[in-house]
Amino acid sequence: MHQINSNYRDDSGQKVQELLFKLDGLSFTYPDGKTALREISLAIRRGDRIALVGKNGSGKSTLVRHLNGILPLQSGSLHYQGKALTPGILAAMRLNIGILFQDPDNHLFCNSLYEDVAFGPMNKGLNRDQVDQLVKSCLDDVGLLHLMYKPAHQLSYGQKKRAALAAILAMQPEVLILDEPTANLDPKQEQIFKKLLSAFQGTLIIIDHDLLFLYDICDRAVVLAEGRIHHDYSFQELVSQQHALREHGLDFTFRFSCCGKDHHHLSASSHHHHHPTHDHGTNDSHATAADKTTPILELQHFSYQYPDKTAGIIDVNLIVRPGEAIALVGENGAGKSTLAACLLGLHRGEGFFFSRGRQLDQGLRRSLWKQIGMVFQNSADQLFCPSCWEEVAFGPQQMGLSTNEVELRVAEALHNVRLTGYEKRVPLNMSGGERKRLAIAAALSMQPEVLILDEPTASLDPQSQELLLDILNHLAMTRILITHDMFFIRELSRRTLVMHQSRIICDYPTSSFLADTHLQGINGLDYTYKNHCLEQIMDLQDQNRG
Amino acid sequence: MDRSGTIIHVSSTFAAGLLFLAIFLSGLSIVLLVRKWHREPDRGAAPDWSIPTIDAYADTPSFFHNWDPAVKIGSLFPYCFLVVSLKSLFWCAVALIVSLLALFFSNIPWQRGLRRLTAMSGFLLMFLLIVPFTSPAKPGETLILLPMLDSLPFHLNGFYLALTIVIKAFAIALMMEPMLGTSSLPITLQGLVRLGVPSAIIQMILLTHRYIFVFQQEIIRMYRSMRVRGFTARTDFTTMKTMGNFFGMLFISSFDRTQKVYEAMLCRGYQGSFPTFSLPQTRREDLAKGGLWIMIGILLLVFDRTLPVLAP
Repeated sequence: MHQINSNYRDDSGQKVQELLFKLDGLSFTYPDGKTALREISLAIRRGDRIALVGKNGSGKSTLVRHLNGILPLQSGSLHYQGKALTPGILAAMRLNIGILFQDPDNHLFCNSLYEDVAFGPMNKGLNRDQVDQLVKSCLDDVGLLHLMYKPAHQLSYGQKKRAALAAILAMQPEVLILDEPTANLDPKQEQIFKKLLSAFQGTLIIIDHDLLFLYDICDRAVVLAEGRIHHDYSFQELVSQQHALREHGLDFTFRFSCCGKDHHHLSASSHHHHHPTHDHGTNDSHATAADKTTPILELQHFSYQYPDKTAGIIDVNLIVRPGEAIALVGENGAGKSTLAACLLGLHRGEGFFFSRGRQLDQGLRRSLWKQIGMVFQNSADQLFCPSCWEEVAFGPQQMGLSTNEVELRVAEALHNVRLTGYEKRVPLNMSGGERKRLAIAAALSMQPEVLILDEPTASLDPQSQELLLDILNHLAMTRILITHDMFFIRELSRRTLVMHQSRIICDYPTSSFLADTHLQGINGLDYTYKNHCLEQIMDLQDQNRG
Repeated sequence: MDRSGTIIHVSSTFAAGLLFLAIFLSGLSIVLLVRKWHREPDRGAAPDWSIPTIDAYADTPSFFHNWDPAVKIGSLFPYCFLVVSLKSLFWCAVALIVSLLALFFSNIPWQRGLRRLTAMSGFLLMFLLIVPFTSPAKPGETLILLPMLDSLPFHLNGFYLALTIVIKAFAIALMMEPMLGTSSLPITLQGLVRLGVPSAIIQMILLTHRYIFVFQQEIIRMYRSMRVRGFTARTDFTTMKTMGNFFGMLFISSFDRTQKVYEAMLCRGYQGSFPTFSLPQTRREDLAKGGLWIMIGILLLVFDRTLPVLAP
């Protein structure tokens, strides 16, 4: 392990800005004995744009929670604008430092967006007119002005995330700290964040695993590993050094075969049209396609409305055949998760639903869970048992399998996700990547015919993503992958369904999806905008090797 | 039991007719409600969230919207207690009319009031059905004997008593709309602070109102993930153990979220109280409105005691 504590601005001869934060020998240990920070020494200057990166659990969030005094100093020192943190300074300092935490629900604690965004400016003592002007301007910036009086619980995830950013920006902070700002967001919403952050004039500190997102925004990289600063240099230096990236679990170069240069899945054999045939049988369902294998699942003219009459999915026709690897893409709120819930039998819609050629009745619906496994977006929603063994055994036990069979399945599932030896571990205490793999094991132990994965890569560091990719690549069952991650779509799917406004608008081979230049015009999603960043980074790494 | 009062025997035909009419009317209401639900074309249409929700029901300020929330609550709340004290059916009905007028003048759609009454109607309907058959007999009261229910007479006095309670409940429930629905929650809570309710309780109400929906979503998501792994609640030890784990995890996540919300509030300058712009000073007009409502309540009580009409 080596510590590089260079101040690259000094070395490069650029103008040295005013020192904002000065950390010296900062260490922190949580009450459970886990040491999160060890001897951190760091100088942050006004105008710095820092990418704070490292593996899950490396101490990034703990460090930023020190920067505005949420966590108390245990040892070492922290100075803000040359002053040690005292209660008097803390209150004023917090009004100048905006922190956007990962979960937007934690930020939106008032009863309407207006009140949430006004909370900070009102605490700053601004008058009613100033607050009103700020709130409207910030909500306009994130495209939520028309929802100003909507309660937060009625917003979509992407809208909540943007509202939380508006609430921070309304404080007009001189330092903006963001923890995983784009996790679970579609490319369109990512672009909104990117635009706002690029335009931000103050000091910026971003924790994110997506180095491609950070590439155009940050100019300095601080790499944390096991609570220590391992590197502190320019962002370009970080991305150009593959060995450093790999050392810290940040190596995303396994993604480098994309950029439109290596589309090796060109087979169109899996292509079928969204409406394969409109010959209808006597009961108005599509005529049976006798020449093809019996689909595992089939939806015909299937629609679902939420109880408040909002459209969930509209007139969906979908055939899922054995062994297929399908990607389901679309903007946030397009209906992807609703479609998954319909396939799981959680939502009862109108239309035809066939399982192995049999139309779904009450009995068949009740047994769908044995046929279809689901890994939800947030592992916390899925894991509720006190040990990993119990978590993975829960499904097989519900299936009524013998104790021996349950034990065999648990061992196999844990082995498949590289969690052998974790049987007695408490899921709550595991890292994000481990919890995601555990959630997959919990589904695999039921040996489903179809596995649906909702945003499996969200909030995972590149190393965990690479491991996940390897695990998913070795699964033999039919897979439906809901994601915005182009690389995973390309690597793990042969067929792509594009959803927009509750409908499936395209159903074609993944190769055609990757080459489709018209999608952006339809749903505003630009899945290729990161490609130029990738190309530049590849050039940098080539130069570095040279 | 003293049965010296009037006893009315209801013939089987009449009773059957009444029963048929009740079933028919109930069925018709259900059919109409279901048809209305399916016909409503604009339920899916998004409301206009660019204006405060409360203003969606009042383009021009109403008698209640203009009222200082502290005085409004400070006078309507005691008024409700005065209505509770009424004993005779007639004056309770007058109180109900007053509430209906208040709802009308507050510019709040009558459907909101109706929804409020529908929510409590199940309980009150049972009340109306049970009390007349179970209330103690009084000398000289009228009893109605239904066919095949000779041992269980219908006490008219009991029916009046139940009806009085139901009407009082409706009158007070309808007053909630003008009292609480004509200001936003934060403004109403500010009014409560002015009335001396501790600030900590007000903040707890504010946060509870917000996070009850978040926890509801978490419960739904976690239970859904249990269902897709085959969980069905039964009355056995395994279900108890699973539900124990489920609630344990919910408790931990709630605790965790509480901590994180508090940190997020600190980060945005929270120092123990929610910031508010001070409410306008209480005007004479506000006090006059308050006096008017208290006066109405006192008059109702005085008339109720001096001119009891249809008192049970």
